[in-house]
Amino acid sequence: MSDPIVAAYKSTPLKAQVERYSPVPLAPAPSVGRRLVLSFAPPLILGILIVAAYALIRADLPAHRQFLMPSAEGLWSQAFGIAAFRSELLMRALTTISIAITGLAVSIPVGIMLGIVMFRVYALEKAVFPYLVALQSIPIMAIIPLIQSALGFGFLPKVLIVALFTFFAIPTTLLLGLKSVDRNILELFKLQNASWWVMLRKAALPSAAPTLFAGLRISGSLAVIAAIVSELFFLSGKGGLGQLLMNAKIDFKYEQMYAALIVASALSITVYLSFNWLGNRLFAHWHESSDRQR
Amino acid sequence: MTGSPTVNAADIGARPHPPLPGGNAVVFEKVSMTFPDGTEALSDVDLAIGHGEFVSIVGPSGCGKSTLLRIASGLSSHSSGDVWVDRQQLGYTFQDATLLPWRRVQGNVELLMELRGYPAAKRREIAKEKIELVGLSGFEAHFPRRLSGGMRMRASLARSLALNPNVFMFDEPFGALDEITRERLNDEVIDLHCREGFTGIFVTHSIPEAVYMSSKVVVMSRRPGRIIDTLDIGFPFPRQPDLRYEPEFSKLCGAVSRALRHAIEA
Repeated sequence: MSDPIVAAYKSTPLKAQVERYSPVPLAPAPSVGRRLVLSFAPPLILGILIVAAYALIRADLPAHRQFLMPSAEGLWSQAFGIAAFRSELLMRALTTISIAITGLAVSIPVGIMLGIVMFRVYALEKAVFPYLVALQSIPIMAIIPLIQSALGFGFLPKVLIVALFTFFAIPTTLLLGLKSVDRNILELFKLQNASWWVMLRKAALPSAAPTLFAGLRISGSLAVIAAIVSELFFLSGKGGLGQLLMNAKIDFKYEQMYAALIVASALSITVYLSFNWLGNRLFAHWHESSDRQR
Repeated sequence: MTGSPTVNAADIGARPHPPLPGGNAVVFEKVSMTFPDGTEALSDVDLAIGHGEFVSIVGPSGCGKSTLLRIASGLSSHSSGDVWVDRQQLGYTFQDATLLPWRRVQGNVELLMELRGYPAAKRREIAKEKIELVGLSGFEAHFPRRLSGGMRMRASLARSLALNPNVFMFDEPFGALDEITRERLNDEVIDLHCREGFTGIFVTHSIPEAVYMSSKVVVMSRRPGRIIDTLDIGFPFPRQPDLRYEPEFSKLCGAVSRALRHAIEA
């Protein structure tokens, strides 16, 4: 692909490009402000409603149960307002995210390789798929104690737990994508005597990439949850947010527990949005499933 | 062939092809094909297509027209008989454009050359020429989803033309297009045929399309497909769009139509 061609193409405004071939003038695109309002106002309003409902329910609770739903002032004075706690929160968030990312760094390549192998060897697909489903149906939390007994309390068992949680979606979505590559495209390659590897690299993998990305999005948001869940069972050592959650409960510091929850979901959302963003960047120009038009 | 940029045969590992029986471009001798489930698709097809001919194949749906093309291209194998085709430089278009949606027009037109191992500079040069030839200059950087159906087909034609095909096979390529686009593309394919000199095999459902484009129309019977009639179309190339409204043209269409009705009853 030649860069000057692409550069010239990108420098022409989209509307002008489309209008050259459109029989009728296009309606003006909504302004930036309007688009911001349209995309941010609905979730913002719902968010405000949820906070209001929270406040109402909290006000309704008897005083001795109100610790279950800390107030905003409480969250600040007991948790986010304390500098030492803030830095602890940051350290623990970093630990959690590094467990999650390392877990993904194991499950994604292994999952992709398994997906490709299953695509190549039909017998292997038939052999492996039932066990993948079985793996998915095992409540992984139930085998965490087993992993703990086998591997101890370090970093490795937590990574393994994340990998187990996030694995399933990767080979399955990749295989689905690889199998739905356009048959005519494959025949086009066959007419040129292309090898299986060339077909995989130039036809099947690019065609499967958006489907795989749907899987990566699921795995990505599961990874943070998995990292936190794994730590609920590992209370010794320097842990992440999961450990903080448990400690906060034991110490009766519910504000800190909420703070950990908030940071945990922020992490999860960040990972999800990153995959979303990456997916859009990679596929928006050719794949229908993307949010944006270009 | 034409004066388009040539690629050294040795560069891309091409082997010279042994000459075909009778100096033809495509020869079928007693070709039969039975699907694994026992359905007989073709029985005893005999067909010889000379160099530079443009032959259309018409027949009732499911008569094995496409199967015949797939056998000629090497995508399917026949059960008995002999097939000779120079497949070294083969053009092939499917019922849809079959572009890779993740590649721009440029990348799509370069695809087959890439698979054949043409050097990048050569690919660029040839792609530029063929994109111009099909009238897609200025659209090199478009992705297929932003092109109309007719433009996608043009890109697909350019992709095949890039290999300078000796034999170009068309498997009902324009069936999904509107009448106007279809007639324009008919003219363009004929124009390309005259300029590039390839031998054309064109499978279609449309009788006027077959008569308009071809030097010979082959009528096949319903399954199992046999060739039951061959009509020579004597109009000179290149053809003028108004040919479609000449009495002589209508007569030939009528003759093909009768043969086709006969094919369905036979």
